[in-house]
Amino acid sequence: MWLPVLALIVGIFLGLFTELSIPEEYSNYLSIAVLAALDTLFGGIRAYLQGVYDDSVFISGFFFNIVLAISLAFLGVHLGVDLYLAAIFAFGVRLFQNIAVIRRLLLVQWNEKKKNAI
Amino acid sequence: MKQKGRTLLFSIVFLVLGFLLSFSYSITKEQFSNDDQGGQSINRFNSKKENARQELLQTQQENLDLQEELFQLLDSVREYERTISDNDDASGLAVEADQYRLILGKVAVEGPGVAITLADGEYDPAIENINDYLVHEHHLFHVINELYIAGAEGIAINGQRIARDTYIICNGPVITVDNIQLPAPFTITAIGDYEVMSSALTITGGVRDQLVNDSINFTMEKKELIRMAPVIRDL
Repeated sequence: MWLPVLALIVGIFLGLFTELSIPEEYSNYLSIAVLAALDTLFGGIRAYLQGVYDDSVFISGFFFNIVLAISLAFLGVHLGVDLYLAAIFAFGVRLFQNIAVIRRLLLVQWNEKKKNAI
Repeated sequence: MKQKGRTLLFSIVFLVLGFLLSFSYSITKEQFSNDDQGGQSINRFNSKKENARQELLQTQQENLDLQEELFQLLDSVREYERTISDNDDASGLAVEADQYRLILGKVAVEGPGVAITLADGEYDPAIENINDYLVHEHHLFHVINELYIAGAEGIAINGQRIARDTYIICNGPVITVDNIQLPAPFTITAIGDYEVMSSALTITGGVRDQLVNDSINFTMEKKELIRMAPVIRDL
């Protein structure tokens, strides 16, 4: 169970101390990738709390969403349409929805626990 | 076995997530600091420019002051030359030196002469191109050259003395003489023989006729006494 946490820390350090620098016009892609990753993460947490969690769905969704978002933004840049806005919008809305659902589920669980204790 | 594979996959996911988050964080920070540096360098550049401008102004002022001093010293030199020439046989040299200084515009001169005023023609809606009735540099050149040919000893435009290496350029509605902008109308004063200069300018088909043809108001008057300051300018 400690391996994912360790991996997270290693990833953070890799990102902070890597000497890689990307041109400014590609920073859009990066932000979309971050958004996609966060969206999938929270989606996974929600699915786990709702009891419909599936490993393969989560892991494939994680990478597939990142790649899809980046390719959509790439396509948008080359077509002259700001498609990355669509990706940001979709992921942003879903992120908030997921977090709201997680909050409700946690509240329900907490209340049930309190009732049981009484 | 299944648990192990799951943990490994999770590790990969979290590795990627952590990398993405921190990488985009560091990239953003870098860009911000780059922007800051850009602003700073622009500020530094601006203050440098301002300093250089101040220095230039100061130097120019210094130059002008020194030039004034030079002219005063030159006057005392001339005074000295005069005292020598009175009791020496070098009087010819002193007179010659004075003449050369006159030509170079190094000394103040005064004497009778002529004043010619060139004014832009009246606005005429029938003429589409306003350049057709504005005074241009070549008009001034014509007049100045004619005056020199007629034996003018000193010439000034709007009080700005014309020296050996004076330049005149047309600069829109104004004319720049030795880096000093002069507006129309242009008064050209020349010290010399009035009769010779006036007849040279007003000869039939001469400079006056050409200027009038170009819709320029040409006025000429005789002056009993014209004073001209020495050429003062930044060299």
